[in-house]
Amino acid sequence: MPSEETKERIVKVVEIGRTVLHYGWIPLIIYVGFTRSNPQPSLIKLISPLA
Amino acid sequence: MASTPPLPVQNTLLDPYSPSIRHSYFAPVSPLFNAYDRFALWRADLGLPHPGTVENLQKETKSTHLSNFIFDGGRADLTKSLSMSPLFQVTHSFALGSQTAPPSYNFGAIFGSPQVFLQGGVDHDGNVSGRFNYGWTSSTVTKLQAQLSSQAGHNMIQLEHDYQGQDFSLNGKAMNPSPTDGTGIYVGSYLQSITKNIALGFESIYQRQTPDVSEVSTSYLAKITGNDKNWIATAQTQGLGILQATYWHKLSEKVEVAAELQVIAMPMRREAITTIGAKYDLRLATFRAQLDSTGKVSALLEQRFTPTFAFLISGEIDHFKNAAKVGVGVMIESSSLTPEEMGMPPQS
Repeated sequence: MPSEETKERIVKVVEIGRTVLHYGWIPLIIYVGFTRSNPQPSLIKLISPLA
Repeated sequence: MASTPPLPVQNTLLDPYSPSIRHSYFAPVSPLFNAYDRFALWRADLGLPHPGTVENLQKETKSTHLSNFIFDGGRADLTKSLSMSPLFQVTHSFALGSQTAPPSYNFGAIFGSPQVFLQGGVDHDGNVSGRFNYGWTSSTVTKLQAQLSSQAGHNMIQLEHDYQGQDFSLNGKAMNPSPTDGTGIYVGSYLQSITKNIALGFESIYQRQTPDVSEVSTSYLAKITGNDKNWIATAQTQGLGILQATYWHKLSEKVEVAAELQVIAMPMRREAITTIGAKYDLRLATFRAQLDSTGKVSALLEQRFTPTFAFLISGEIDHFKNAAKVGVGVMIESSSLTPEEMGMPPQS
């Protein structure tokens, strides 16, 4: 069984990872899609619902 | 004293590609490997088909019934395809005026290549949902699913691993696993083809809400497929006396019908719900109709006026409760790509 300190550290790391995923997931997909797309789209088309 | 026959060590060293003994370290267990090889060969000779996955056991029925597609109020989905291979599209969806759900806006993004699949969605409250699939080989896929919210207690993360064998499928899931005290929900499932038409399997759920309390429940599954795959019958028991049976039949290229029976036979509660439904796939429209034993009649029409513009209308009447729901929606797909880039034949 890990010690209390280790447990606290694990909980903290999980919490930070969760926050990063929460704010970073959508930007990550857009970044990956934007850079790997063929042909590469323009940014305005990506964001605006009307363009 | 009987003399033991000499082990074929020399041979193995000379012939490193001998199928049964590849490394001399394994020589003591080679009979096991031999037996396994023979068993695998015998199993491949049976020519059993792949049974599908446990998750998709009732897929045909669910896609014929409209329970998963019905909506009420107004809805608009704007999908923009920015690339076809790899797939990259973004979706803006708006929903308004529903009786059950508040107005909402949702932004979604999908990226898919043959190996990786990424999907994410964020709504106006800042709740993020995400999916990540990674295919190690064509039969082995690891999946990650998460729902992240700024409110505590609404977060969910699910790790899943899927293995598709020649005649079986194996899946393991962990929901909200805690690395510190091992709590969480763990699910393992296995589905195996027994004959060309019949597949049997089970799904075990191990729940550990706190480190001291744990609970295991197992459900059993059966699936019978018609010879030319135009009908499928499934049955599934879920612990505590719940039985679910479905039947799906493809009557022609354009018409599919499905029936579902759910029986709950618990000491406190005894009830059964039957649902029957039909789906028509016409050239530019899809029509689904459904009737169930709780007195609900519902229908959904999806009409495509052009390939990029679809109009949806749905309705449901609950005869026993005297309630009705109506929904109207549009789906617009726009693309910055030329038809050639989308892989369509050039139009003259």
